[in-house]
Amino acid sequence: MIFDRPTNIELISAVIDFLDTEIKEELPPHLAFKLRIVTNVLKIVQREIDLGDNLSKDAEDLIKEVIESTQEPSLIELASSIKEGNIDLDKESLRKALIGITKSKVSVDNPNYSTFKKLVE
Amino acid sequence: MNEDLSILLSASLSKKGINGSIENLEPLTGGASKETWKFNLVNSSESSRMIFRRGSGAESSLAIRTSDEAKIQEEVLKKGVPVPEIVLVSNSNNDLGNSYVMKFIEGETIARKILRDECYKSALPLLAHQCGEAIAKIHNTPLKNLQFLPKKSPIQLIEDLYLLYESYKQPSPVFEYAYRWLKEQNYGNFEDSLVHGDFRLGNILVNENGLTGIIDWELAHIGNPIQDLGWMCGNSWRFGNSKKVVGGFGDIEDLIKGYNGISNEKINAELIKTWQVFGTFRWGVICLMQAYAHLNGSINSIEKAAIGRRVSETEIDIVDLLLLGGD
Repeated sequence: MIFDRPTNIELISAVIDFLDTEIKEELPPHLAFKLRIVTNVLKIVQREIDLGDNLSKDAEDLIKEVIESTQEPSLIELASSIKEGNIDLDKESLRKALIGITKSKVSVDNPNYSTFKKLVE
Repeated sequence: MNEDLSILLSASLSKKGINGSIENLEPLTGGASKETWKFNLVNSSESSRMIFRRGSGAESSLAIRTSDEAKIQEEVLKKGVPVPEIVLVSNSNNDLGNSYVMKFIEGETIARKILRDECYKSALPLLAHQCGEAIAKIHNTPLKNLQFLPKKSPIQLIEDLYLLYESYKQPSPVFEYAYRWLKEQNYGNFEDSLVHGDFRLGNILVNENGLTGIIDWELAHIGNPIQDLGWMCGNSWRFGNSKKVVGGFGDIEDLIKGYNGISNEKINAELIKTWQVFGTFRWGVICLMQAYAHLNGSINSIEKAAIGRRVSETEIDIVDLLLLGGD
């Protein structure tokens, strides 16, 4: 990595802090509501930068267990195999893949989501 | 703008023989595709609170015409469903556009407030039973005057949803799994009924005694009635109170008891769960639709962009329901 600190994640943190401390107070209620969406979006981006590569690799490994012949395992390929009826819905590796991949997605998109919290407890 | 609208409203109302001056006309926050205004209609003897609702012409492809919502409200009111009384319907392209005026009903719509504020504590234990009764009354409404509504069998609904999902070309293994599962289910032999289509906190009015009104009929259609019950039980509409299966406030037994006490059709929790999976898939596809309205450039909006990352919430709910025994 050739870039100096602050890292990309640290830069986004600085933006979130600025929005939360200096901007939030200045806004009327309907824009304060939008600002919450903005800071949430920035936190998604942070988590994706932080965790995204590893989670995507984990997903590829899970997909390889379901579709043995695949060269480049992807969600697209897994989705189309299910669609074409090439996989039995009861197959254990499919079950594991769907659970694992979905948890990974939500851990980036919204780790506060009730079902995610329930399933990781 | 306000003054023009005020003049139009006053003229249209007096054509119906309703006279009075329009006062305190103010926009209310609401859905992005519809305008909602409140005002007082004041004459020498009284002042009545009214609501004006108008379609923008840019409604979602799933929605019915705004003026048709008013026709449904008139029909269900006859069956004792708590809905605002309709005062005026306009379906012309000029003047008031596609719109209607209804009487104001007291009550809170914001889910967060209903679930957390002290003054609704007494209402929450009653609400699931009341919702069950109200939904059953909606489903008992005669369809004779509602033939303009789209009619969809469960399989058609599933196929429509799948086509919409497919059109965005963002494949989801979980949605593919749900689609295959949904196609294999038994939806029972129910008579076609009026379906509200979006019955949940946000679209119902609540005061300290419970349910006072049902609004937002834009997703209404004719079909299998149980979908209204499954929709409200989806985790997407529990607003974080996931242990309370019915809308984040109630238990499924109370909803079923309320429903079965009024309805001609008797239902059970298993049927509701099947429709809960459908409803969760449906909300997921609606999230996709909103996100792609932003991505395709038709609406540039941070809210719509953000909602694209809520699709995974519906995926994890489907995984929980179908693979992990969740409720």
